[in-house]
Amino acid sequence: MTSMSVGTATHPAAGKAPTIAGEKKHTRYIVAAVCIFLIALMLFPVFMSLLASIKTPAEAMAAPPTYLPHALSLDNYFKVYDYQVGLPVYLFNSLAVAFLTIVFCLVLAVPAAYGLARFPVPGKEILFVVLLLGLMIPYQALVTPLYLMFSKIGLSNSLVGLALIHTIVQLPFSVFLLRNSFEAIPKALEEAAVTDGCNSWQTLWRVFLPLVKAGIVTVVLFAFIASWNEFLGALIFMSRESNFTIPIMLVNVRTGQHGAIDWGALQAGVVIAVLPCIAIYVLLQKYYMSGFLSGAVK
Amino acid sequence: MRFLSKRAVARVVLGTTVAALMSSSAMAAEQLNLLVRSSAANGATFMTDLWNSTHEDQISVTVIPDNQMVTKLATGVQSGDVPDLVAFDLIFMPDFMRAGFLEDLTNLLENDPNQAKVAQAFKDLASYEGKLYGTGFTPDVSVLIYNKELFRQAGLDPETPPKTLAEIEDYAAKIAALGDDTYGYYFSGSCGGCNIFTVAPMMWGSGAKLLPKGPDDPILEGTGVKEVLTTFRNMWTAGSIPPDAQSDPGNNFIAVFLGGKLGMQGAGGLVINSIKQDHPELDFGIAPLPGVKDGDQSSFVGGDVIAIPTGSKHADIAKDFITWQLTDDAQLNGLAKNFILPSRSDLADNEYFQAEPRYITTAKAVGIGQVPWVFHFNDMVNSDASPWITMLQTAIFDGDIDGAIETARQKMKEIASE
Repeated sequence: MTSMSVGTATHPAAGKAPTIAGEKKHTRYIVAAVCIFLIALMLFPVFMSLLASIKTPAEAMAAPPTYLPHALSLDNYFKVYDYQVGLPVYLFNSLAVAFLTIVFCLVLAVPAAYGLARFPVPGKEILFVVLLLGLMIPYQALVTPLYLMFSKIGLSNSLVGLALIHTIVQLPFSVFLLRNSFEAIPKALEEAAVTDGCNSWQTLWRVFLPLVKAGIVTVVLFAFIASWNEFLGALIFMSRESNFTIPIMLVNVRTGQHGAIDWGALQAGVVIAVLPCIAIYVLLQKYYMSGFLSGAVK
Repeated sequence: MRFLSKRAVARVVLGTTVAALMSSSAMAAEQLNLLVRSSAANGATFMTDLWNSTHEDQISVTVIPDNQMVTKLATGVQSGDVPDLVAFDLIFMPDFMRAGFLEDLTNLLENDPNQAKVAQAFKDLASYEGKLYGTGFTPDVSVLIYNKELFRQAGLDPETPPKTLAEIEDYAAKIAALGDDTYGYYFSGSCGGCNIFTVAPMMWGSGAKLLPKGPDDPILEGTGVKEVLTTFRNMWTAGSIPPDAQSDPGNNFIAVFLGGKLGMQGAGGLVINSIKQDHPELDFGIAPLPGVKDGDQSSFVGGDVIAIPTGSKHADIAKDFITWQLTDDAQLNGLAKNFILPSRSDLADNEYFQAEPRYITTAKAVGIGQVPWVFHFNDMVNSDASPWITMLQTAIFDGDIDGAIETARQKMKEIASE
């Protein structure tokens, strides 16, 4: 012990090393604890939804509510599955509209953002601001006039029409994000592509798009989630049950007599509706984070 | 051809002709769309299923969230993209008729003998300036439901429900005295629609006039308004009503009763079937909503009317459906068989309800019920800050009964003037 103490005392760094390591260890523990707490906080409502969805319908509606199911039941899922025209129809409609929204957003936003970022368009800053105005007008104010217009040209009550509406809402943000992504690419790469004989479209396709992949994935994610969750437009634009999307079905299936809420069916619907969002987010997560940052900071 | 006999050729020709006729007949069948609010979707689905099984023209149901029906119909009429039929909360009928949203059905219904047997409340609500714009479809009516087991435990006779407000207050106190989180009475304290359905009949059954059609009509006047509010205030201060009732926007309208620790509440007759299915252990009774004096009974005749929106592309078939749904077959096999009240009063006591006297009590309440014929019902009653719900909250939870009534009168007068 003595020799160890002497040895430790004579080396100036030896006494500090364990302290710093210990502090780092403590810091890691604290950070981990905070992270676990935050994760638990975020997961708690999802977990409670899952628990409520597997209660019997009667227990799910009980007031005051029970925390843990007294008996397990899939009746709530059966109710959601069989509701009106059936869950597969609502799922198909939501997926089709979300897919079309993504396609329309990319087809329109990529060239627009590319042009605004890399070409000397006269008054492009003003154009960009005008484009962003769409973000500033409340969606509720746009829906009815758009519906009247779409009805006249035969686009109401169609999945394509609804996807166009979602695209209109999502487009300003998509252009904003992609423009910043395009601007972040060094000029030298573009010049090299031109030197090698690429025209503008070839430069976009072969050089720029691979570099803004993260930004594109971010646009895809946002377009998907926005379209998947959108309620008001789908309600106004669609007139047939067979064209309704998941959010409308969710509101309807939860409604009991005199406005009482069928909590079991609602939570089963929530669990089903959230799965595609989680799946697409997990699949594209690594692109999403870098894409959002590269788009947010010029 | 020489290998085919004349008879065979004739068969082929005949078969082809029949197939062509059947094909053209199938092509002639129309597909109609019925818009219905989500809380009434079951009844509409039963009725359309029955129609579809016996008719060539088919009707599909499109379900709209309850609180979006007005928006949906209004935008549809504006754009010309309307459903062929629409069923909605009867209380919106005056506004829709005045706005010109609905087809005039006067000739159709006046020539239909079944229309005369429809509950009077539906006929009243669907009339505007001497014309008829709709008729009853899937009714509901408010009644008092009570837990017979708690009545027994509190020393009350489970076969003798309260007949006056004073008895409600007395019974509620006795049941609440059982303790162990048991309460005597429940109402959703932040839900205007729930309480016009379950509290207002106690007032108008006692003689009060509640909602004005125009600014000069009596508003919240007559015996019953102050008395009902006082009864509820007394039950609140005595602890007979659960504290959670104050903030309930209707989400737990029936849930507390289903827990088995609540004595009484106003509810709709439609709950009978769902209680029997989901909570067979509950021993419950049904009674008319009482008023100040014994015999002051009434109810709110709610539910849905059916009408044809202006611009319907299949108005003729829609009219056929409207008259068909009033026939004995549709009323009994589409509604009563599925334990939904018929809209025709003469069918209240039917073969399907015989085994369950509680249905008959409920169906008969349609005959004694009322429904307010007013414009701007949503502003007066249903909205979150309506004068109706504000009056209830101020009177019952804060105790300022006279002030609450007076403020509500002023506000309703303003709304009726619009």
